[in-house]
Order: sequence, then C-alpha cells, then structure tokens
Amino acid sequence: MTKALRLAVVGHTNVGKTSLLRTLLRDVDFGEVSHRASTTRHVEGARLSVDGVALLELYDTPGLEDAIALLDYMERLERPGERLDGPARTSRFLESSEARQRFEQEAKVLRQLLHSDAGLYLIDAREPVLAKYKDELAVLSGCGKPLLPVLNFVSAGHEKEQAWRDALARLGLHALVCFDTVVPPQDGERRLYESLALLLEKSRPSLQRLIDDHAAQAEARLQSARQLIAELLIDCAACRQQVVAEPAAERAAIEQLHQAVRQREQRCVESLLRLYAFRKDDALTTSLPLLDGRWSDDLFNPETLRQLGIKLGGGMAAGAATGAGVDLLVGGLSLGAATLLGALAGGGVQTARSYGKRLLGKFKGQHELSIDDNILRLLAVRQLQLLQALGQRGHAAMHKLQLPAAEASLWSDSKLPAALRKSRAHPEWSALNPRSPASSPERQAQIAALAEKLRGES
Amino acid sequence: MSSSTKTTALLRPLDRFWLCEAIRLREARGEPLEDRAANRLARASGGDLQQRILQRALSLAERDGQLAALQHYRHGAGLALLLLALLALLSGAGLAFAALGDGVRPVNVFWALGSLLGLNLLMLALTGASLLLGDGNGLLTRLWRWLSDLLARDVQAAQLAPALMLLLQRQRLNRWVFLLLSNGLWLLALLSALAMLLLLMSTRRYGFVWETTLLGSNSFIGLIQALGALPALLGFSQPDAQMIRASGELALNDPAARQVWASWLLGVFIIFGVLPRLLLAVFSLWACRRGLKRLALDLSLPDYQLLRHELLPDSEYLGIVSAAPELPSLLPSGHSLEQSDGALLVAIELDDQRQWPPALPKGVADAGNLDTREQRQHLLDQLSRFPPARLLIACDPRRSPDRGSLALIAELARSATATRIWLLPAAPGEALDADRLADWHLALKQLQLPFAESACLNWLETGHD
Repeated sequence: MTKALRLAVVGHTNVGKTSLLRTLLRDVDFGEVSHRASTTRHVEGARLSVDGVALLELYDTPGLEDAIALLDYMERLERPGERLDGPARTSRFLESSEARQRFEQEAKVLRQLLHSDAGLYLIDAREPVLAKYKDELAVLSGCGKPLLPVLNFVSAGHEKEQAWRDALARLGLHALVCFDTVVPPQDGERRLYESLALLLEKSRPSLQRLIDDHAAQAEARLQSARQLIAELLIDCAACRQQVVAEPAAERAAIEQLHQAVRQREQRCVESLLRLYAFRKDDALTTSLPLLDGRWSDDLFNPETLRQLGIKLGGGMAAGAATGAGVDLLVGGLSLGAATLLGALAGGGVQTARSYGKRLLGKFKGQHELSIDDNILRLLAVRQLQLLQALGQRGHAAMHKLQLPAAEASLWSDSKLPAALRKSRAHPEWSALNPRSPASSPERQAQIAALAEKLRGES
Repeated sequence: MSSSTKTTALLRPLDRFWLCEAIRLREARGEPLEDRAANRLARASGGDLQQRILQRALSLAERDGQLAALQHYRHGAGLALLLLALLALLSGAGLAFAALGDGVRPVNVFWALGSLLGLNLLMLALTGASLLLGDGNGLLTRLWRWLSDLLARDVQAAQLAPALMLLLQRQRLNRWVFLLLSNGLWLLALLSALAMLLLLMSTRRYGFVWETTLLGSNSFIGLIQALGALPALLGFSQPDAQMIRASGELALNDPAARQVWASWLLGVFIIFGVLPRLLLAVFSLWACRRGLKRLALDLSLPDYQLLRHELLPDSEYLGIVSAAPELPSLLPSGHSLEQSDGALLVAIELDDQRQWPPALPKGVADAGNLDTREQRQHLLDQLSRFPPARLLIACDPRRSPDRGSLALIAELARSATATRIWLLPAAPGEALDADRLADWHLALKQLQLPFAESACLNWLETGHD
C-alpha cells in the first residue's frame, strides 16, 4: 500500500486556509474559522480516503505573519563567506533559538511543510502583491517542496489575478489554481488535484482516484437529493383528508394540513442539508428557508405564488390561498360507483376499500381535502433551488444560504408529471396520511420516475 | 453473545438484505434510531459501504428484535411450505384417484386426461397470461400485503413483509420466486399423481374406453394419435387405429391393449403435465439463484447516501499535530525621546490604486509608502537619527493586522514622540469589512496607540486638534 500524499496548506494569516480545508474535506466542523487574523495557531490535520484507503493528508497551518523579519533573520544566519541553499538555511533556522521564540509560529509552518510532499500556497486574490508576500514565498520555497499557489476569494470581483500571475511567474511558479473556498467553482476541486498531479507525478494515480470517487459521489448525492424531493412531492400529492362539511371543521383541517406540509418540507430540507454534509442548524436558525428572506413568506400565500410566476386561474387563486383544493366529489355517485365497479373488477381489494371509504364519506356529507397543484409546483421549485444552492455552496461558507430569485417555470403551463397525477389516486402512498402502510414497491417506482423527471428540470 | 453470533452466522445473504431493507423502511418512516453503537460496530467491521450498511442493519435488527421476528417468519414460512407441500401431495393423489376411479367401471380416457391435466394447464395459461399482460405483480402484491397485515401483529415485524417484497421486486426476483413456488408445488402434486397412477395401474385392472355422441370416430383416432406422437418418441406405446376403434365400442379385455392404453395415458400425462412444470421449476430455480447472487443494496437511495457519511467517512480528523505556541506580545516601550522635531506622514502597504500622498500642509514631511524590507530599514534608520515629534501612520484596514505589520507600527511609534494611526477609508463605492476594521481597532488598542478614521493633518501640523 502506498503512503498517503501529505499536503500542507500554507499562506499569510487570514487568507482562508482553514476554509480551504473545510471545503476540500466537505467538513463544516474542521478547525475554527473567524474573520480574526491568526485564528489557527496550531497545525491540524485530516485525511481523505476512498473506500477506506487513505489517499491524501491535509494539514492546516498557522498563517505566516512576519515573513519580512523572518527572511531578514534567516539571511543573517548565513556566516560570512558561506552560501547556503534553501533547505540548508531552513534547517539552520529551525535549529536556532528564535525558532522557539519569536518565530515559533513560522517555524511550525516550515516544519510541517518539510514533512509534507507539497504545499498549497493560499492567496487572498483581493490583496495587492506586497513585498511581505514575496518574502513569504521566498521563505516557503526555501523548504525545497513543490508549491501550488491557490487563489482564494476570486469570486469577490475586484481580484488582482493577473498581478498575482505575473508576480508568481517571476518567482518560478507557473501553475496556478483559482479556488474560491466559499463559492467553489464546479470543477475547482478537480482542477486543483489535477494541477497537483502535474507537480507530483508519482501521486497521479491516487489523485485521479480521488477525483473519480468525488465525481461519482457528487452524482450519487444529486440522485439521492432528487429522490428526497420526489418523495416529498409524492407524499404531498397523495395526501388527502376527509373532513366534515362544516366551516369550522374545514378551517381546522386546512390549518392542520398546512402544518403537516410545512413540517414535511422542513424534513426534506433537513435531509438535503444532511446529505450535503451541512449543519442541520445551518438552515434552521441562520438560513432557514421558511423564516428569513423570501422564504419567510407563507407557503400558502398567493402572493408568494404570484412572485414565483405561477399563473393562477381566478377560481384557483382561492384554492391556492387556502392551500388545498376542496374536492367535493361532484356527482360522486355515478363517478364513484364506476370507479368502485372498475376497482372491484380489477380485483383490487385495497383500492376498493379506500374508494368505498370515500364514497361512504360522501354519503355522510364529508369533504375531501387534498393539496393544490400549485403548491406542489411551488414545493418542487423551492426544493430544486435549495438543491442547486447546496451544490454550489462550499463547506467554509458562513453566510446565510442566499437563494436566487425564483423564476418558476416548472410545469406551470403543462400538466403535473405523470407520477404526481398518478399518486393523487393513491392515498396510501402518502406518509402524511394517517395509518398509511409502509412504503410499497409501486410508490418506490413512482418516486424513481419522478426523480428522473426532476433531473430534466434542474 | 455466543448464541447470537451463531444465529447471525447462520443468516443467508437474503436474510441480511431483508433485515437491511426492513431497517431502512423503519427509518424512512421518520423513526430515528439510536444507532451510534451500531455505527461504531459497522465502522470497525470494515469492508465497503454495502457491507457496513448490512452490518449496521444487522446489529440494529438484533437489538430491536427484528432478527427474532425474521426467524419466526422463516419458521412460519417453512411450516406453511410444508403444509402446502402436503396439500399438493394429497391433492395429487386425489387427482389420480378421481381420474382412474375404482376400477369397476372402465376408464374414459378423455375424462381421465382432462381431470389429470385440465386444471394444471388452465392454471399454467393463467399464470402465463398474468405475467405477460400487466406487470404481473398487482394481484400477488395485494395478496402478500393482505397476508402480511394478517401476520404482522407486533411493531418489530411490521416492516418485514413489505421489506421482502421491495427487496425481491428490485431484482425482479419476486416473479421468479412466485414461479418457483407455484411450479414447484404443481410439480409435487403431479409427481404424487404420477406415483398414485403407477400404483393404481400396477395393482388394479382398468379398462379404457372413449365415448362420443356428436363426433365421428376418425377425429378421435387422429386426436389420440396426435397426443401420443411425442410420448411415442420417448418410448411410450401408441395404440393403433384398430385398437382405438375397438375401444370405442367397449373396454377391451385384452391385457396387451390395456397396457398400451395405460402406457399412452402415462406418456401423455408425463409429457404434457409433469415435464413442463419440471422445466419451469428448474428454470425459475436457476433464475432465483442467479438473482439472489446478484442481490445488492440500491446505494443511490437517499437513506443509504445519508449513512455514507457515518459509516464510510471520506475524511477523518487527524487531530492537532502541533499545539499553538505562546507568542510574546507586542507592546510599545513608550520611552520619551529627548530630541525630536517635525511632523512625518508614512503609509504602510498601500496598493497602487490609491492616490498617495494627499496634499500635505507645510512642515509635514512625507516618508512615502512602506512595503519592502529595505524601505522599512531605511526609514527606521532615518527616524533613529532624526526622530519626529509627531508621526502619523496611515494603514489600509483591508490588509489584515498581522504580527509583522503591528511590529512595524510599534517600532515606528518608538522612534517618535507622539504617534497616531490613520485607518484609511474605503475607496468611493466600496465598503470596508466591518469585522476586519474591528480587528484593527482591537490590535491598535493593545498597542496603546490612538487611531482615527479621518486624516489628523491638523494635529500633524500643529500638535493639537
């Protein structure tokens, strides 16, 4: 078994070294991140594995803070008439007493880099190329390890990428990777590892394995996420409740249904967050879709629907506002009887039983509550947007989840997907219905079909 | 513990997948399980994700009684199978009895054949049709659900029946299991009937006739010979036209003719009754075996993807390798300078987008923008020779207040009688990061240096605000 590749993440203080680790590890809890300079003062490591095989060890190091003074000191360590190369000078510095006093933090960085196969030199792209950064690079290159510069905060807009490229080229560093730790580019991780593979030819197979595994996992995550959304939609589409035809009882039932749908959506949001390895409270307290921003709009508020661009028919607006269309089973006798006959002829005892119950309800003067089409559209759009946002979010992101303004064109001018229409007739598929049996193969099949449909929409 | 490991070792792969699916269904219903111990065990057991998920499900099922429920299911299923087999044996024997009768009256060959093969062929056709039309699962699924509702009285076992259904359906195994079951039972019944036929024909004397009112005898001769053609290839005897015609009148007393008829009847029964069922049973057994071997978890299911993080973590924390150092803090040693004169403005690490220096009042010198080591050294040398009375240091708060910059500020401050820091405002249209500005304030407070966000040029010129 080959040894895992060791990488030290180095750079000036406060350029987001810990953030880079969080994003690469997909671990929101790694280390401590704050706006304050030199938050990390120790060396902390984590290991990336594929199928239990350790491939990459990443080490977070404290920032270099006083490179100008350090380089000055290192140069003074050279005795007159002596000419030391980089590694020799570095090791002499590490043996000196200042390496345990004034420059202890810098010494830690250099020791870690010496123990590593390569270093990722993280750069805040918003910063001008100052002399202290050049001195930092001079100190670091004294370790004799390959360095890969990584430009962070490139999405901030006013980056000085070209200036950095020129400056790095003058120092002999021609490979460069742009990787924003907060909004990582879609293929940023792949490009980072590929650039590393150019520097470390021997480690190419393990880096390639890492790239392949992460791509496969991203696809699997996406597929799972679509299934979670499909499950939510099927649960809501299949949900129906019998209610006595009295205004007070109806209002109570509708209110209850609202609550149930919102809780169900929240469950889906939480599952998505867990799937993408974000904190559960990332969404609950700070970036909860239902509470802040546009998401605080009530799910059943017609205004929200209008904003989302879902056209509402005059009569439908009322239904959307209440959140549930009241299906009165108009002319239910003939229609229901036919269905009953059909169901009986098909031999579906289950179907006959549920239809029978509904018919009985009709005779007893009960109404049937179900969830409106437009609510389903809205749920689908919201969850797909959340999914997209999660896919683009880095694990170092501290800000609230900002969702783009909704342009909901999802199924708005056509019928709902077949899977949803079908599940309307299967109350037993909904986990929202009381006494619904465990998941059935048919339900599972419809979820898979709907997830496939969602792949086309997103 | 030893007994439980024994029982888990006895589990077949199907049982492990079954338990896993049952646990998944329980969790999918939003029932959170206390799974830390199980996760730990699964992680320790190693293997790929599927193995770990199976291991986790096994420990959860063992703890919560699903394993025991599954054993009950298996016992129950075994018992039910035994009963069905017994029923098949009995009904097979009964079939043979009903076909041949008590031997007092001659046996009508078509009635006998019809009762031996009719129901069998009808059921075969029905099964075939239901598999070809539709998905072939509806009726079976409902039957199964009804059965499992009937059986699942306790909570632990409630998910087992649907879990098996889902599991089998995923590999399309359900239809093969159903085919194996039905064909196997029919095969058993037919074999029992065959044994009974042989027994009856060996110990009793039967005469064979055929009867018709409407049809002519020639069509019967053709039919009997057509049916017997295939068995005849395998060595069963075939009555000739004369014998058939003779049997149409009354049962022949000739023992040779009886033997020929009996052999014909057995041949047709074996070829058209037993053989198809045997082939189908063997084929579905093979398909079942193959499907069972290919049994795998659908790892794309969200429930399993959510477990991935727990069971097969991609990243693993290695801990703190080297602890945080104690760094000497920076404090300006505010010694008073005896001889100091003049006012000086100096900037630290400005970028080239800023207009620098600003218009300065008379008497204020500009020391430029400090960036490199040489510039710093040069200025410090100069200040030690000609210390200024008032020094204004301009900083861009977009830089981070790192130790190097603060040390430089402290050193500069030491070489002037009074020092102030000017935190430059942001360029028009931009805003400063409030957090970073607060960091600057904190750091400068620790250095005990006064700071302001506006230019104190007045102070610099005159010495008072």
